[in-house]
Amino acid sequence: MKLSAVVALGLLGGALASWPAAAAAAPAPVAGFSYVKSLGGIDEYHLDANGLDVLLLEDHSAPVVTFMVTYHVGSRNEVTGTTGATHLLEHLMFKGSPNYNDARGNSIKQYLERIGGDYNANTWLDRTAYFAEVGSEYLEGYMAIEADRMRNLWLREQDRRPEMTVVRNEFEIGENDPVQALDKEIFAAAFEAHPYHHPTIGWRSDIEKVPIEKLRAFYDTFYWPDNATVSVIGDFKPASALGLIRKYYGVYPKAPHAIPQVYTEEPAQTGPRRVTVRRAGELGVVGISYKSPAATNADMAALDVLGSILSSGKTSRFYRALTDRNLTTNVTADAGFFHDPSLFQIYAYLAPGATHEQVEKVLRDEVSRVVKDGVTDAEVAMAASKISATIAYARDGTANVAASINEWIAAGDWTRYVTFPQDVRKVTAADVLRVARAYLVADQSTTGWFVPVEAKVESK
Amino acid sequence: MNSLRYILALSVLSATNAFAGIADHVVRTKIAGVDVIAYPTAVKDVVTIYGSLPAGDAFAGEQHPDVATLTGMMLDKGTSTADKFAIAQQLESVGATISFNVGAQTLGVRAKCLRKDTPTILRLIVEQLRRPAFPAAEFEKAKRQLAGALQRSLEDTDSRAAEAFARAVYPAGHPNRPATTQEMLSALDHTELEDVKAFYAKYYGPAHFTLVIVGDLDLPKIQSQLRRDLAGWKGGVDALRQARAGTAGGAREEKVAMADKTSVSIVLGQASGLRYADADSIPLRVGAAVLGSGFTGRLMQIVRDREGLTYGIGAYLDNDTFTDGDWRVSGSFAPQLLDKGIASTRRELERWWRDGITADELAARKTDLIGSYKVSLATTDGMASVMLRFIQRGKPLSWLDDYPKAVAAVTLEQVNGAIHKYLNPDKMVLVEAGTLPAAK
Repeated sequence: MKLSAVVALGLLGGALASWPAAAAAAPAPVAGFSYVKSLGGIDEYHLDANGLDVLLLEDHSAPVVTFMVTYHVGSRNEVTGTTGATHLLEHLMFKGSPNYNDARGNSIKQYLERIGGDYNANTWLDRTAYFAEVGSEYLEGYMAIEADRMRNLWLREQDRRPEMTVVRNEFEIGENDPVQALDKEIFAAAFEAHPYHHPTIGWRSDIEKVPIEKLRAFYDTFYWPDNATVSVIGDFKPASALGLIRKYYGVYPKAPHAIPQVYTEEPAQTGPRRVTVRRAGELGVVGISYKSPAATNADMAALDVLGSILSSGKTSRFYRALTDRNLTTNVTADAGFFHDPSLFQIYAYLAPGATHEQVEKVLRDEVSRVVKDGVTDAEVAMAASKISATIAYARDGTANVAASINEWIAAGDWTRYVTFPQDVRKVTAADVLRVARAYLVADQSTTGWFVPVEAKVESK
Repeated sequence: MNSLRYILALSVLSATNAFAGIADHVVRTKIAGVDVIAYPTAVKDVVTIYGSLPAGDAFAGEQHPDVATLTGMMLDKGTSTADKFAIAQQLESVGATISFNVGAQTLGVRAKCLRKDTPTILRLIVEQLRRPAFPAAEFEKAKRQLAGALQRSLEDTDSRAAEAFARAVYPAGHPNRPATTQEMLSALDHTELEDVKAFYAKYYGPAHFTLVIVGDLDLPKIQSQLRRDLAGWKGGVDALRQARAGTAGGAREEKVAMADKTSVSIVLGQASGLRYADADSIPLRVGAAVLGSGFTGRLMQIVRDREGLTYGIGAYLDNDTFTDGDWRVSGSFAPQLLDKGIASTRRELERWWRDGITADELAARKTDLIGSYKVSLATTDGMASVMLRFIQRGKPLSWLDDYPKAVAAVTLEQVNGAIHKYLNPDKMVLVEAGTLPAAK
């Protein structure tokens, strides 16, 4: 799951850089809302009734709109015994409320599938998001149901029981993939105290045994308007959309308590760590992860460029050193963009005949080379071009834009969606050398091998 | 002729808002035999390109089942004028991507670039298709890369189940019947570069090449670039559209035993005997969607939501673009819930087959299919993929506007009639791939 997030975050690489750095004037005031700021075409408001954060981004290129609510709760808010609770709760959010449910024929699933909405929800380390891309005329219909489940969810034991086995099968499907299993072990080894230690899907026993009361407590702790951001992206009129938000979300008070904050910090790592996953399989994988800063840290632009130089395309260093020499079939290198410090991760997928030792040595040699000699101006320019192109690609469709903004909301500062690309274009070879030396440090690394073992069963 | 059509097209584009239909805005031209479909959208700066020509695995033959895939893999390994790194430099310096992939019937190409780079990217696509250098050293690397990809697919329960299912329902010689992964791996030992060159010479060409270009388009530049680059290119063959294989041969079970897997992938289905272009295809698709599409399809609603037996299960028609295809249910179950999950799936399948769907279900699913179709066209990727798929299926461009009408016109009798006419739960094949329960 973390691997796919890295891919998704790649789209962020510099979105909306062609937009003005700041709006010339504030949008027209709308009753019930406090205007906060505008940047890159996005206007931010707070709903006065309860502090709900609102982002509006108009785009009339197609008659569709994406509406998304991001709750500032993810697996980082879980503790032993409730790992996976955020995700299980996300599933239960589709089980209905007294107002909207299957029996009444107006559940969120029934409504959105009747109108052909493209919808889903997902949970990650720092956030939980619910979203749908619908025809513009259906914005209100979807928003009404989405807002209702913020506070009126049923959350019944009779729903948890069958949904637990659904989620457990999701866990089992993930475990089918040895690389996902390896990624879990690398994170678990790299983080001892911080809750990034455990996977978002949770540990199997917690998925199976977490009681409905704890899920209810989780819901009542975190699902409040002042712990959420709603985003409206696409074909809508701002005044109208704000009116709908006030109508459907304005009925809720602020949380009756302060939203709990995560205060656990990962202690300093003082030496390299290693993990091994041995399972039936065909070809090995080598992963090396280094501790890296939070997404909002100023060094992240240079780390993004570094990842591109190391692994993006045939011109990259890892392609030339490994894939082009038949040692790997693919190599990736990506900085994790999360609320708290996470990992800069390298994964090398071994080619037939290659050994883990060979591949790990080449990876380390290439890392040493970049730490010692840095990168060239040409490499930085090419990385910036790739990122600039993804700026435009990430604006193709309201759902794509929503997915990108979502991660910056989760990271703690949506404006980085606009400013991060600008930072990328300012990155110099000296910056890349500096961050390589600061973060690609052996004592801050966790290395993992997936070692395939011969299958104990034979296929027919 | 082309110039005249082009001028007319421009005048259409200038009045975009006056037209309700999508097809009205499409610029379709034949350039050196290539079917070029251009569709400008309001997106800023993004261009997405999808294309295909018939040169897929079905053309490879039994002796060298890997040759079509290897040929496709060699396209980005250098041309007569530039080695692979020089091409990569041109692409990556502008953040553009071009990828080739080989399927059962076609070589596919996908590309993404900025508006200003579109002529360059089109030139590189055509150059890689027309003038691959086939360097011997790169061929050996491609074989190793393919071996790696094939070996990794052996770890994947979904791939193993899909392969076993396709081989169970399609007879030898059918384009949808794949070689086994082991056959592909074995073939790598004896397929030579000369085999790849011969395959390329026989099948690659403009005659049945379709190129769809969607997004922020500079049409005059695109047209002139393609005219220049495609001029003089010859060859190409049509897709394989042979006689139908018929429907199910008989019920049976296939088990693919794999170690250390925590979830079993299953496929339950049969050859449908239907092509997409057949009249009964849309009614059967609507019926399949009632059973197995989305979270409100019966399988997800009952087998997942109510009974908690699976994370995901669905039903759909597939592989019917060029030839008759198949109908299948795909899903996953924990080994300890496998028997129960399959029993529930069969129960719902048989109820659906026996009793048909209801008028309410039909009405709701029709609006879902129509609405989701429109939403899917809101990106350049969505639009390009839909256009290419419709063209491959032999539909005219007007189908872009007529498809929703065709769905809306489907009747209950047509759906329930098609379910009975083409499917029979008693003759379906069941494949299970994963770490299977010992008791089974």
